Amino acid sequence: MGGGAFHAAHVTGNHMSPARRRVAAVAVYGTLGLAMVIALFPFWWMIVTSLKQPVDIFAGVALWPQHITLHNYGRLIHEYHFDSYLINSIVIVTASVAFSLVIGTLAAYALARFRLRFGVDRLSLYAVLLVRMLPGILLVVPLYIVLAKWGLLNTRLGLILIYTCLNTSFVIWMMQSFLEDIPRDIEEAAMVDGDSRLSALRRVVIPLAAPGLIATAIFAVIATYNEFIIALTLTSTPSAQTVPVGVSTLIGKIQIEWGPMAAAGVVGALPIVLFALLVQRHFVRGLTLGAVK
Amino acid sequence: MRTVEEQGGARAWRLRAAATPYALLVPALVALAAVSIYPIFYGVRASFHKYRYGIDMGSAGKQNYVDVFHDPVFWQAMKTTAKYVVVAVPIETLLGLGLALLVARELRYANWIRVTLILPMTIAPVVVGVIWRLLYASDIGVVNPLFEKLGLGTPNVLANENTAFLGVVAVDVWEWTPLLFLIILAGLTSLPQDPLEAAQVDGASRLQAFFHHTLPLLKPVLLVAITLRTIDAVGTFDQIFVLTAGGPGTSTQLISIYAYNTAFLFTQYGQAMAMLVVLLACLLVLMWAAVRFMRRTSQATT
Amino acid sequence: MSETTVTAADPFERPLTRREVLKRGAVGAAIVFGSTIAFAPKRVWAAENANSITMGSFQDNAMAPIRDYFNGLFTKETGIKVNYNETNYNTWYQNAKNDGLNKTGAYDIYVMDDNWVPEFAAGKIIQSLDALGFKRNPDILEKGVEQGLWPPKHGAKMKAFAKQKPELYAIVNIDDVEILYYNKKYFPKAPQTWDDIYRVAKAKSVPGKLYGWSARGVKGNPIVQTYLPLMSAYGANFVNPDWSPGFAGHAGVAALVRLFSFIPYMPSGVAAFDTDQETQALLQGKCTALTEYTGLVHQIDNPSASKVIHQIDTAATPKQERSGPAIGTFICGIASGSKNPAGAVHYLEWFTSSRIQKQFARRGGSAAVTASALHDPVAVKKYRWLPAIADAVNNSVPKPRTPDEPKMEDILGTALNEALLEAISKKSGYQAIAQKHLNSAAKQITTYLKQQGGYF
Repeated sequence: MGGGAFHAAHVTGNHMSPARRRVAAVAVYGTLGLAMVIALFPFWWMIVTSLKQPVDIFAGVALWPQHITLHNYGRLIHEYHFDSYLINSIVIVTASVAFSLVIGTLAAYALARFRLRFGVDRLSLYAVLLVRMLPGILLVVPLYIVLAKWGLLNTRLGLILIYTCLNTSFVIWMMQSFLEDIPRDIEEAAMVDGDSRLSALRRVVIPLAAPGLIATAIFAVIATYNEFIIALTLTSTPSAQTVPVGVSTLIGKIQIEWGPMAAAGVVGALPIVLFALLVQRHFVRGLTLGAVK
Repeated sequence: MRTVEEQGGARAWRLRAAATPYALLVPALVALAAVSIYPIFYGVRASFHKYRYGIDMGSAGKQNYVDVFHDPVFWQAMKTTAKYVVVAVPIETLLGLGLALLVARELRYANWIRVTLILPMTIAPVVVGVIWRLLYASDIGVVNPLFEKLGLGTPNVLANENTAFLGVVAVDVWEWTPLLFLIILAGLTSLPQDPLEAAQVDGASRLQAFFHHTLPLLKPVLLVAITLRTIDAVGTFDQIFVLTAGGPGTSTQLISIYAYNTAFLFTQYGQAMAMLVVLLACLLVLMWAAVRFMRRTSQATT
Repeated sequence: MSETTVTAADPFERPLTRREVLKRGAVGAAIVFGSTIAFAPKRVWAAENANSITMGSFQDNAMAPIRDYFNGLFTKETGIKVNYNETNYNTWYQNAKNDGLNKTGAYDIYVMDDNWVPEFAAGKIIQSLDALGFKRNPDILEKGVEQGLWPPKHGAKMKAFAKQKPELYAIVNIDDVEILYYNKKYFPKAPQTWDDIYRVAKAKSVPGKLYGWSARGVKGNPIVQTYLPLMSAYGANFVNPDWSPGFAGHAGVAALVRLFSFIPYMPSGVAAFDTDQETQALLQGKCTALTEYTGLVHQIDNPSASKVIHQIDTAATPKQERSGPAIGTFICGIASGSKNPAGAVHYLEWFTSSRIQKQFARRGGSAAVTASALHDPVAVKKYRWLPAIADAVNNSVPKPRTPDEPKMEDILGTALNEALLEAISKKSGYQAIAQKHLNSAAKQITTYLKQQGGYF
């Protein structure tokens, strides 16, 4: 990417008078400010509601909590097993993203570097696209049957396996294009020096593809952490249920507890928001590449 | 001088080298098949079986398809899904394009602005549902008081068939405009700058420059973005499950919700799978059309 | 922030060194595993040994005493640990069904809604309690016990099961029925008929400030719960003995028109109300009366939940042509894949014993299942609604006993919700609106039952 100059010319174009430029700047920042408020206010409302006492929740609009309480968060741990949900999510996301990065990168390497016969390359591509396209609802019943046969229903391992398979799809998709950008000469040089194909991949190619791996991992972490319908169907107790499923348990058919529900929403969103801040510079790029590639 | 063993070793080595890429692909292909080919085969098979109390009672012929085709609720769900996609995706595209054009320039705090704007698409759709339930709730939310302040009465968004539909579309727009924004922004930043500068030097107005130069160059990116978003929108489930579960009436009952209820609440796996097979066929047609269209436009531009 | 554009100093332009990748990876892994170990839950969930049982339920206030007190008491008395897990209604229905159909064994006891029993028994999702040697306490109210029989003892029966002898598949643990809650400020004495309620609603309600009625209007199960006591009181049946829908006749329509007549006096968002919003109106002192299940009794005198403590009284649901409270018991079955059925039987016998039920009634006036508990003088002195519950259970009208009931309820509940929405927007022509939507529901139900087979 290197199109910065285009934009500079496009907007702060030299034909504009300073006054017009200032008006334009106000309009641009004003519109963006409004868009940011629209993007952020709903989060704020959830946070405020989660800090209110039950009586205050029903006492009319207050954009600031009157009597701040962490009671709702305490209830999440004591009554609703959110400690278990968080741990399950962390374990499942970490393991399945790691596995799929390995499996998917190897496959992407094969697709990027070799001429494959029997139409294998095209087949792989179709499979990748198909997985990307299938709605989750179509997967749950068949997957349920398999996991039931293997005794993996309601286990973390069952979800790890399925998420690994699903993530493999876009790991291949993203990593293939990253690997294609790495010149062949470098690894061929390493192989001349006596490395085998795999050790050249490990020692030379992977470090060069690290930015791509990070971008892919970011995308995979978010997609896996957020997945709902499969986790909802294949788990039934807090020993394996993930955070989104935990959040949905608070939306009773019989009763809604607004305070804990808001707190659950905050807890559900927090890991991703923290993650976004932690890898801030890579975050936008990772998501962009995941969406575009 | 080569010995016989060495020759054999070389052949084995060459064979191994030729097999390496296939070996590398095997785990990934197994993984992909497990979540694509197998479920589709299973689903198609199940759609020809009768289930009673969740137990497979054997072949049902085409009965499930007949029942589904005669089920007005199914058709309504398909219609609602189509309406949902047709309303939401264009709005998201226009807003995403507008925001991308605003951000694709030298800005202070550019990275913060981008992170903020894409935040809605990064959190779990279930949480998005929770957030908007809190905003829409008729007694504790802010949407009702806001409309009241503006003198527009109290809409009770999720309690009324027309507004509930618009309400869930608005949530979709809030959540997924960032995706379109992100893709279009990436497309904009990778555009060659020459044609535009040239156009500006030629004295063309900014609007003309946009319609004659930027937009045609963006077309492939826009197409990909719209296709991806359309496919995802057809399968929307999580937020609706949390927000309305398909109500009031059947006004927000998308096909995914109805298929889910049919499979898991009414335990009619066969009928549910028949519905999903029909849906899948529609998706494949859509995908095929999109790919063809893309090929044609890329041929036209080159 | 000095960084200004996408392209300036983009970290992606600079490949990370191998050492950096390894270092960051190691730090990340350390954080994850450290936190996993630090916060690892000490609870054991699955019934891994004979000394524990796992019990699942939908979330409901009525279950709170069991969750918070009685499960612990059982462990103290028997040494058997009880793992308890609750989730929302639909998810639990699906989880329990899947768990039983596939004999996963994640649960030993399912707490069910009584209308799940036919499907769970016919589909072998739960085991026959008779076959497991469960000893039934004769003190339990008969109407409650009948909810756990399959095939049913009375009412319409499916052909395939008509000749089978009824067996006990589930045992009631909370005798939940709908009762009337009313604010004493507006009703000097308990209203007897739906006309009484209407008169007060018309006279006292002030738009936006005080409502004459509040209801659950959400499609499906919630609005059906609102409609059933009206329907029964006006003399209609959900299904007749020959499985033809009975609500689309004169009486069923009259009952729905009565519900519509409350529209001017109900909160405007009522079509999206579920229990929480419905009851908030009452607990905030903004509503004169409503019908609800007995779970609400735990809140009406609780100062942190209610602004009108000691002002709300209860009574049987109003009569019209006849009395007909809707029964909706909580009922327990033992999972087909249970890893500890003996422990589960032990628990159910213990909890439904007269001794424990008496304690159950004395703790907050819960809807106990035995006659002796509901008439226990100590409990009744404190919780005057207990005999009313016994009375209501004995007069109650069950839902159709068939595995297809949830679908029937969904069809009726969708039609009722649509009818309510149309009535709210048109504000007149209630008779025609009610007739149109009820006819449509009756037709859909008949079609569905024919499709399923075994009824006509």
